[in-house]
Amino acid sequence: MQATTMNFTIEPIAHDSVVIRIGKALDFRNAADFKAAAQEQVRSGIRNFILDFSETGILDSTGLGSIFSLYRQVSPMSGQVVFASVSRPVQVVVQLTRTYKVFRQFPTVEGAREAIR
Amino acid sequence: METTRQSFKRLDGVIDELHDLFESWEQEGALLSHLDLDTIHLFRLAVHEWVANLVQHACFDGRSPEVTMDVIPNGRRVRCIIEDNSFGFPMHERLDVQREALKPYPERGMGLLMLNAATEYFEYTESESGRQRLEFTVSADSDPCLNIPF
Repeated sequence: MQATTMNFTIEPIAHDSVVIRIGKALDFRNAADFKAAAQEQVRSGIRNFILDFSETGILDSTGLGSIFSLYRQVSPMSGQVVFASVSRPVQVVVQLTRTYKVFRQFPTVEGAREAIR
Repeated sequence: METTRQSFKRLDGVIDELHDLFESWEQEGALLSHLDLDTIHLFRLAVHEWVANLVQHACFDGRSPEVTMDVIPNGRRVRCIIEDNSFGFPMHERLDVQREALKPYPERGMGLLMLNAATEYFEYTESESGRQRLEFTVSADSDPCLNIPF
């Protein structure tokens, strides 16, 4: 079952994994909502997060910070945060910040699902 | 595209206004004639970070916010001047503090650093009329990097 929180759609794909469809923007206006939604998932046992950026036109420093926060939370528990269907505006942020060194990227959500299975 | 000036009066909707503007420029192909798409996105990010900083932190002390943005394409570069009527702040000191304080996988404190990293030339001053003035250029020929500790 899918849950929609603010701009985000959260789709469970396994007992410990979800896809979060980021939507149009992850920035200072909704980063706190993203963080709260992700924390709720972690509390319920989710460890692997696929972030789908296919429709995302804005990822700013605060949005990226909320993703770092999630990464800090799940990585000690062997969890993963990976990026899928990265749009050009998001790729520009990834390149600027060299975060491809931290978050694996996949061309599609399906590809990410296969990889984290 | 010729030099363009945009004015913004409301901080609550300014981010949406700004991105609508960029989308209309992209659809018209105006900025695309001078710059590649990735450089436009980098420019858009720099503008977003600055305006987001104004929305979140600028002190207007009861005055109605007035923000103007001049965009001046110049070959493979674009120059931008954003002026506002806030009180301003010691930008370069703040940048130094943020640079020093940056922790691995930081949650906050990357905005000004990201703006600084994305831009080739970067200056923050008070104009003769007492307005705060940020001027920067973004270049298609650079490979900017914000060095975040991982």
